[in-house]
Amino acid sequence: MRCLGIVFLITCFSFAQNKQLLYGFSEIPQALLLNPGGEIKNAGFFGVPLLSHIHANAGTSGITLYDLFADNGVDFNLKLRNAVYNSKPRNFATINEQVEILSGGFAFGNLFEKNEYLSFGLYQELDAIGYFPKDYAVLGLEGNQNNINKVFDASHLKASAEVISVFHVGYNKKVSDQLTYGIRGKVYSSIVNVNTINNKGSFVTVLGDNNIYKHIFNLDLELKSSGLSSIRNSNKDAAFQEVKKRMLMGGDLGLGIDMGFTYQINKQWYVDASLLDVGFINHTKDVENYSVKGTYEFEGIDPFFTEFETGQSADEYWSKIEDEFNDIFVADTTYNKFTTWRPVKFNASLNYSFGEKKEKECNCIKGEKEFQNAVGAQLYAINRPRQPQVALTLYYFRRLFKGLSAKTTYTMDSFSLYNIGLGLSANLGNVNFYLMADNFLQYKNIYNAQSVSLQLGFNYIFKKNED
Amino acid sequence: MVIKQLRTYTFIAIIINGLCISCTEPVDFNQVNDFEISPVIESSLIFLDEPANRFSDNENELTTIQDFVQVDFFNNNFIVDNLIRAEFVFETTNSINRTFQVQVDFLDSNNQIQHTFTFFTTASANNTNVVSNYTEVFQDNTLAALKNTSRLVFTLNMLPGTPINQNTTGRISVKSKAVFYFNIDNTTL
Repeated sequence: MRCLGIVFLITCFSFAQNKQLLYGFSEIPQALLLNPGGEIKNAGFFGVPLLSHIHANAGTSGITLYDLFADNGVDFNLKLRNAVYNSKPRNFATINEQVEILSGGFAFGNLFEKNEYLSFGLYQELDAIGYFPKDYAVLGLEGNQNNINKVFDASHLKASAEVISVFHVGYNKKVSDQLTYGIRGKVYSSIVNVNTINNKGSFVTVLGDNNIYKHIFNLDLELKSSGLSSIRNSNKDAAFQEVKKRMLMGGDLGLGIDMGFTYQINKQWYVDASLLDVGFINHTKDVENYSVKGTYEFEGIDPFFTEFETGQSADEYWSKIEDEFNDIFVADTTYNKFTTWRPVKFNASLNYSFGEKKEKECNCIKGEKEFQNAVGAQLYAINRPRQPQVALTLYYFRRLFKGLSAKTTYTMDSFSLYNIGLGLSANLGNVNFYLMADNFLQYKNIYNAQSVSLQLGFNYIFKKNED
Repeated sequence: MVIKQLRTYTFIAIIINGLCISCTEPVDFNQVNDFEISPVIESSLIFLDEPANRFSDNENELTTIQDFVQVDFFNNNFIVDNLIRAEFVFETTNSINRTFQVQVDFLDSNNQIQHTFTFFTTASANNTNVVSNYTEVFQDNTLAALKNTSRLVFTLNMLPGTPINQNTTGRISVKSKAVFYFNIDNTTL
C-alpha cells in the first residue's frame, strides 16, 4: 500500500477544488454548477443569500501542518529540514473557497412539459495554489558551499492566487428521455490577482577559469499582479468600497463558459460529463508586474591589473559589475496588462441505479418510481500551472427516506488513497439543506490531514408537480 | 417500523456527528519562533594571474601596485543582522623568484582603517610552482570591523630579491573566495 502511495505521489495524481460529493447530487440545485447539463429535480429554486453554497477546501500534497508543528519534542528546525528534504517541487498547497451571494433558477417550456431550465447566480471565489520552491529552500537552508556544481532551478517558484466574483446564467434542456444538455455563460470580475508561474532559469556555482569559483546566474522571473495597489494604498473604508464595486462586476472583466450533458443509456445506467471555466480574465486595472531577468557570470575581480587590462581603475571596474548586478537583481516594474486563463475543470461519471422502492402501503401516485440506490465512478481533472491534476471517485448514493438522501464517496488522489467523504441533503418542506465533507479518516487528527473540504448550503425549492 | 426509523435516525446522527466533530493531536504553532537556518555562501573574491615580466617596466621594477574598490555590501542590513562569521581564503601559486606580499585594508566611510591583514607568497628559486594558502577569519571584533567596511584597499608588494626584467620567467597567480556564515532566525527576519 505504501509503495502504491509513493507511485501515486510520483505520478502526481491529485485534486483540489474537487466537489466529488456534490457532483451529480441532483437533489441539490448547486449540482448544476458542476454540470450545466445535469438532471434537475426541481421546478425552480432560489438560494438563501450568502448561505446557498459555502465551500471551503484546503489541501497539501506534501507535508502537513502536523509534520511541522507536532508538539512531540522534536526540534522544530529538524522537522523543517526533514520537511524540505522530503518535499518535491511538484508538491503543492492549495486553498479554494466559494460563497454564493445570490442564486436562483426556474423551469420553463410548454405547459405540459417544462423541459427547459434557466439558472443564474453570483458567487465569489478565492483560489490559490503554491508549489514547493524546493531549490530556493535548499539554497536558503544550506547556501552554495555544499552545492558546488548543483544547478538551482529557478522554475521551482510557481504560485498563483486570485479572488474573483462570477456572474453566470445557465441554460439546460432535456431534449429527450435520454439526453439532457446545458451550457452556462460566465462573466468574471477579478478583485485581486497575483501570479508567478512562468519562471525560468538557474543559478550555479562551478569551478572558475580565473578564480576558485564562477557563479552563473541565468534568471527569468516574473510576478504579475492586478488589483492590489489601489486596495493597499487606500484606507479601510475606501478599500472596502473598492472591493464591493469589483465584486459587482467592477473589476477586471473576463468571460467563460461551462458545458455539459447527461445521457441515459437505459433505465439504470447513465453517463454524464462537463467542462467548466473555459475562460479568461483581462487584467488592466492596478497592474503591477515585477521581473528579474538576465544572465551574468561572476568570477570576482582583479584589483591589481584591471587598469592594465581594461584601462579602468579597479573601482570603476567594480562599479560596472555592481551596475550589471543591479540590472539583473533589482526588479523591473512594468504596468503591462495581462491575461490569465481560468483553471479548466473536467468532470465525467458513469452511474448505475438500482433498488426500486417498494410501495407497501399505498401505490396511488402514478409515475416513474425512483431507484433508491446508485453507485458510480467519477473522474475529475483540473488544469494547473505545473500539470493537470486528476482524481478518481467511487460513490454510493442512497435515498434514506422521503426528502433525505446521502452520498458517500471514496476518492483517490495524491493527497491520499483513502479519502472518504459523506454528504447529506435534506428537504424539509420547501427548504433544502445540504452538508458534505470529505477526508473523514483524517479527522482524527485534523492537523495531519492532507486535505479537508466542506460544503453546505440552504435553498428554497419549488417542487415539481409530480412530487 | 419504529425500529427502522430509529435505525435511520441513529445513522443520521452518526453522520452529522462525523461532519461536525474532528479531533486534533497536540500541535504548537509557537515553534515557528525557534526558526533558525544557517546557510553558508561562498563567493569568488579577487584574482590575479600575471607573468614575471609584468613587474618590469623598461628596466624599472614595479614593486608596489595598489588600488581600491568601494563596496556597500558589508553594511547591508541583512549582512549586519545575520552574518556571524566570515573567511577570506587565498590560494597563491608562485613560480617567480621573488616573494610577494598581499595586503588588504578595510576602511570605513570616513576612510579610517578598521582592519588590515597581509600574507606572503614564497619566492620560487627554481621556477617551480610554490603554493601558499592563507585564510583570514572574521569574527567578534574583526567581524564588526568587516561590517563597518565600505572601502577595500588592495596592495601587492614585491619584496626585494633577484632583479626582474623582461626576460625573467615564472608566473604568480592568486585565487580567492569569501565564505559567509549566516545565522538567520526569527528575530532578524
